[in-house]
Amino acid sequence: MSAIGRLLRSFALRTALLTAFGVLGISALGLGLGWLRSSAALEEALDSTIRAEAELLLGDFQRFGAIGLTRAVEARTRDRTPSAILVQLRLPDGRPVAGSARLSGAPMGLRGFVTLKAPEGPVRTLGIGISNGFTLLVAAEFGAVLDTAATLARTLLAAGAIAVLIALGFGLFMARGLQLRLRRVSEAAEQVIRGDLARRLPLAGSADEFDRLAGTVNTLLDRQEALIEGMRQVTVDVAHDLRGPLSRLRQRLEAALARARDPNADGAAFEAALAELDTVLATFTALLRLAQLEAGPPLPPQEAPVLDLSALVARLAEAYAVVAEEAGKRLEVQVAPNQHVHGDAALLRQMLTNLLDNALTHGGQRLRVTLHPGPVLDVADDGPGIPAEERARVLRRFYRLDRSRGTPGSGLGLALVAAVAKLHGTAPTLSDAAPGLRVRVDLSGAKAEN
Amino acid sequence: MRILLIEDDKTTADYIAKGLQEIGHVVQVARTGRDGMLLAAGEAWDVIVTDRMLPGPDGLTILRALRASGIATPVLVLTALGEVERRVEGLDAGADDYLAKPFAFSELRARIAALARRPTPTTDPVLLQVGDIEMDLLKRVVRRNGQPVELLPTEMRLLEFMLRRPGQVLTKTMLLEGVWDLNFDPSTNLVEVHVSRLRRKLSLEGLPAPIQTMRGVGYMLGAPT
Repeated sequence: MSAIGRLLRSFALRTALLTAFGVLGISALGLGLGWLRSSAALEEALDSTIRAEAELLLGDFQRFGAIGLTRAVEARTRDRTPSAILVQLRLPDGRPVAGSARLSGAPMGLRGFVTLKAPEGPVRTLGIGISNGFTLLVAAEFGAVLDTAATLARTLLAAGAIAVLIALGFGLFMARGLQLRLRRVSEAAEQVIRGDLARRLPLAGSADEFDRLAGTVNTLLDRQEALIEGMRQVTVDVAHDLRGPLSRLRQRLEAALARARDPNADGAAFEAALAELDTVLATFTALLRLAQLEAGPPLPPQEAPVLDLSALVARLAEAYAVVAEEAGKRLEVQVAPNQHVHGDAALLRQMLTNLLDNALTHGGQRLRVTLHPGPVLDVADDGPGIPAEERARVLRRFYRLDRSRGTPGSGLGLALVAAVAKLHGTAPTLSDAAPGLRVRVDLSGAKAEN
Repeated sequence: MRILLIEDDKTTADYIAKGLQEIGHVVQVARTGRDGMLLAAGEAWDVIVTDRMLPGPDGLTILRALRASGIATPVLVLTALGEVERRVEGLDAGADDYLAKPFAFSELRARIAALARRPTPTTDPVLLQVGDIEMDLLKRVVRRNGQPVELLPTEMRLLEFMLRRPGQVLTKTMLLEGVWDLNFDPSTNLVEVHVSRLRRKLSLEGLPAPIQTMRGVGYMLGAPT
């Protein structure tokens, strides 16, 4: 699109044109009204001049009679200067006795004002009947008045045109400014689209609407950048975490292939390969689940189904107590009865399972799961615990303490716990169980009366 | 068994069909939702296995259509979206079982077998008995060969689940779902620990082991049917 084409389509220019048309309209209206008003006023002024002259003449008539009037008329007609008053005295039969011949076009028996079209230009004429059937005509040139009105109209027209031009110029100037400003914004946005995530919209520093909008968009971009950075980190972490098991899998299969065929050895190799593959799949499943949980809105607090958290915890804890016992550990279970919450049973089971798995894998010999009234769920162990400065980080995906790198697990367990907790309007808190780690999930916000 | 498989991905369809044929099933494959719907409604099948995402009407639409027209053939829904809500949605639509991709073929086989033998719902028996193991559901008492066996509540639930499915291969995920309502695999060996404890408690001198481990597949109580 050409520069002119772009300018023509711009909102700013349309605003400028609209303003100019507005000014034009107002000017035209003012002009018309002004012209009408002024010509009416001029006509009135002329009429009163005529009337005053007529009164003077009537005074002459009263004092000096018809002869005096005739003389006065003749005198005035003789001395008449251009554009001055014209007078004529007529007999009852319409013939002029004295006065200007220019008024001979006036109709017979004229009474009152009329505008006569004479060859030399229009004449405003007042007809007055005096005694004996005589008619006195007093008139004045109308052309001068019309000229004045026309001059006035031309002046107004010129002023209107100038106003329109100024409005148009101002509009174009504003349009240009707006366009430049918006272009800078859209250039910055295009940079972001091309991948320069750190780019921000320019601020003019005027704190006007544009700056405020740009500020909001910049906040959006900040958040977007953080999210994308997080995503990038996760991608790197996924790749990093999966490279290990996948390369082991490859080595195993390669070694098995290179070996002479032996049903027993092959079977063992395949089984080991499948186990390796299953851990990869488990990581993927956990990641997907996490993504779905994090994408979803929180459960509507009072609409989610009511479930018996006490029973849920007791049942899983009992199963895990057996597992702990087999592993030579002890799981103490303490469950407050009749604790009900609004929530998703499957997700809460998953959350507790992850917490118990964690405690069994990383904790010490004595584990404790407690459901306090509230309800508040605690899972504690007497293992090495997590240093205070690391606690916030272990809730992130794939974050693993250095010492747990060698142990099985995807590094997603606590991230899933956090996601499920968030869905139930809360967040896990990690604290020192002295010794060991305590993870607490306060579900009192989701409490349901039973 | 006559099995209808509705799956649009050729590789997956061939793999499943071949596997099922090898163990003696008759398999008909439909590659679109439309074909699947026509075949499902038009012929008698023992089990229908359908993918969830299909060109044309999807798996759940087919399922709803079948159930709406009164066809109660057991349906197993395969899905790549193995998450909780989808699962509930599928079961609500009338699916009898649900299996997330990727799955082990042994898992599919066990689930198809379980579906085909799903007992018609009758009044619950008071006494479950398989071989010399019996469970009184009212008194919550278990005996092997007449001798009482002490079980924890979890072990009781596990045994009840197995007694109700004698001679069937029960995979780890089937047990996790059926006994603990867990639709994911915990990193702890929950199932292995409980099965081996149960097996130990049920063992008697001179009697055969009551629960068999099917290597790489699952567990089975009683003789195969």
